[in-house]
Amino acid sequence: MPREIAVLDALVPSLLLVFVFSLLLQWAVDWVGGRYGLYRYVWHPPLFRVAVFFCCFGGLGLLAMQ
Amino acid sequence: MNARKEIASPRPWLMGQLRETALDWLYVGKALLAIFIGGWLAMRMDLQQPATTMMTVALVMHPASGMVLAKSFYRAMGTLVGCGVAIALVGLFPQQRELLLVGMALWIGLCAAGASLYRNFMSYGFVLSGYTVAIVVLPVVQHPLGLFDSAVMRVSEVMLGILVAGLVGDVLFPQRLRMALRQQLADQYRGFLAFVRGSLGGVLARDALEEAHMRFVGETIQVENLRSSVVFEDAGVRAHSPRLRQLNQHFMEVSTSYQTLHHLMNRMHAPHHRDTRDRLMQLCAFTATALEGDCQPSPEAAARLALELQHTERELPGKISEQRQGLTSRRELLDFDTGAELLGRCLQELRAYVQAYAQLRRPGVPTAAEKEVVFQHGNDRLGALVSGVRATVTMLMMGSFWILSGWVHGGSAMMLATIFTGLFASAPNPSAVVRQITLGFATGMPLAFLCQFLVLTHMDDFGLMVAGIVPFLLTGLYLTTRPTLAGYGTGYVLSFIYLLNLHSPMTFDPVYVVNEAISQIGGVLAVAVAFSLFGNASSNGWLRHRLLRQLRYQVARACEAPLNGLRHRLESATRDLFMQIMVHAGPRARDWLPWALSVHETGRAVVELRNRQSTLPLVEQTAVVAVLEAFARLYRSDADKQQGAHERALLALDTAMATVADRPALRQLHLLRQALLDTRSVLVATPAASPQPHQEEVPHAP
Repeated sequence: MPREIAVLDALVPSLLLVFVFSLLLQWAVDWVGGRYGLYRYVWHPPLFRVAVFFCCFGGLGLLAMQ
Repeated sequence: MNARKEIASPRPWLMGQLRETALDWLYVGKALLAIFIGGWLAMRMDLQQPATTMMTVALVMHPASGMVLAKSFYRAMGTLVGCGVAIALVGLFPQQRELLLVGMALWIGLCAAGASLYRNFMSYGFVLSGYTVAIVVLPVVQHPLGLFDSAVMRVSEVMLGILVAGLVGDVLFPQRLRMALRQQLADQYRGFLAFVRGSLGGVLARDALEEAHMRFVGETIQVENLRSSVVFEDAGVRAHSPRLRQLNQHFMEVSTSYQTLHHLMNRMHAPHHRDTRDRLMQLCAFTATALEGDCQPSPEAAARLALELQHTERELPGKISEQRQGLTSRRELLDFDTGAELLGRCLQELRAYVQAYAQLRRPGVPTAAEKEVVFQHGNDRLGALVSGVRATVTMLMMGSFWILSGWVHGGSAMMLATIFTGLFASAPNPSAVVRQITLGFATGMPLAFLCQFLVLTHMDDFGLMVAGIVPFLLTGLYLTTRPTLAGYGTGYVLSFIYLLNLHSPMTFDPVYVVNEAISQIGGVLAVAVAFSLFGNASSNGWLRHRLLRQLRYQVARACEAPLNGLRHRLESATRDLFMQIMVHAGPRARDWLPWALSVHETGRAVVELRNRQSTLPLVEQTAVVAVLEAFARLYRSDADKQQGAHERALLALDTAMATVADRPALRQLHLLRQALLDTRSVLVATPAASPQPHQEEVPHAP
């Protein structure tokens, strides 16, 4: 994937797109967790949320920048 | 956390105080940490103004993590929209500073007006999308080609600040707002049940009833406010949010019905009512036995209580027909039936409320019925218009002064004035808040000057710089945790960070700093002038009266609006409106409470009547429609014209009661008639209170 992508003729770092996508992904995971009460099995839900986000962003970012 | 151990401690008071102090300092520590992490990252990333990041963190930080996330979310939205509008505006008028200024002022006015139509952080988002335009455009107003970069920089700085504040606030020793919400719901539940238990068997004076009602309105609004922030903190609460709304809705309904029941009983004081009243009292006493059980706010106890109430509900019709025997005259029967039906409704709604409370934490998905409930806010459009005009005029005045005088730092003054007129547009008593903020600015600025030129000049790297700034910021942040000094602390922290304007590499320019300080003070003073000229409902009696009129119009809406979901909207909008009156009028709101009670009672009866309306034969429907029209006119009319409207409404009611044969509809009509005839009701009291209503009308007669 190129380092920068033209969105509406403005150059945007492609990591930013990955970031936004990871946010959406994390939000989906969060929704599922809340909907089915999965957070009851987690010690520190906010930390878990952040960790999930970092996993998504890190993994996708590394994949995209390969 | 430590709360559980605290119970065993011999001196709970001391422990509570210590705990609170510790929480305050925890917040100060978190805020400092977040501010400096934000600043450091912004410098590492070579952003233009790390001060914006630090300011964002300082503005967004709050002791409760749900508040931080909610505010962050709306701030992010507002910044994005504002940047988009800034680019569009400069694209429209690149060479025309006057047109650009007018365009900006109009947009900001629009946002300020929008902000006063919403509550909490939603309104904050509106304000932000307004003044972000000014923040983005002003630095590049001399060279419009740099606009896009300025917009990107602003978005990056603000987003960085939001991310840092959100992370630190939510992950590091978070203070859960969810607990506050749970506590609030438990208090509401316990308080209401205790109130019902204490008053169901006996008589309650109007004063006590009004007092209780005011408390319940406050609690309802508080639950709704907490709910709207907690959904950002906790995915579990977010999934159950419709259920919370439903619970609050049940609470509103049962408190209205229960209050109506008491009014009805109070109206039956005359000797010829004695017999009916005694019979109804016995029914009430029977119902009260259901509440003698365990009223603890735990889900299990609530489930048991709900079963008990269900049981009573099933037995009630038998008791009613038992008490009904022996009543002969038509009027006595009607009185008795109306009271008995109302009691049945109360019981049913109370059971629904208790059941909803019991099921609150049960896992599972909210049903479709729960999702339908809405909480509608009531607004005075004109009040919104006033805040829009206030923001626009302030900005135009400051902008014209800036352009005409050629004052180099006039832009900062204009920006600050714009920010604060928007932020405090719907605050209770904005003049006092602005005064505190001004004092905060006056303290923060000299300290920023001292810090920058006496301390920071000796500091070499980031660590030392932090050490030099912390003592100053610590004081300000601690002040923001004191309820009485919050405005002062906020002004202090903002002006300090703003004037310090940390960037890398740091430049020291005393002349610039002094000029900037003068323009900021000018901006804050302009806000004070704007609020004293165009006050909001706190200082403007006319706007307060408009709020009251909106409250009365809710009955007209109950008579005319589409019936679908009307009950929910009516209950929430009347409470929201009355809450606004309470916020702005303070203790004086007590005088207007009778109106709120009357609107709740009549509005609800009207809705019940309309629910029956479609099942009636055509002749009866026409009579009911006439009643609805008369009531809409009565609540729309001003105090001096009320006498005529009152008589007409009574006439329409009498006609309808002679025509309608359907028993449930007849009972609602009877209820309306009782409310209309109540001598202590505000509807009757108003014309008598104004000395000569009839003589006032004479001059208008042709």
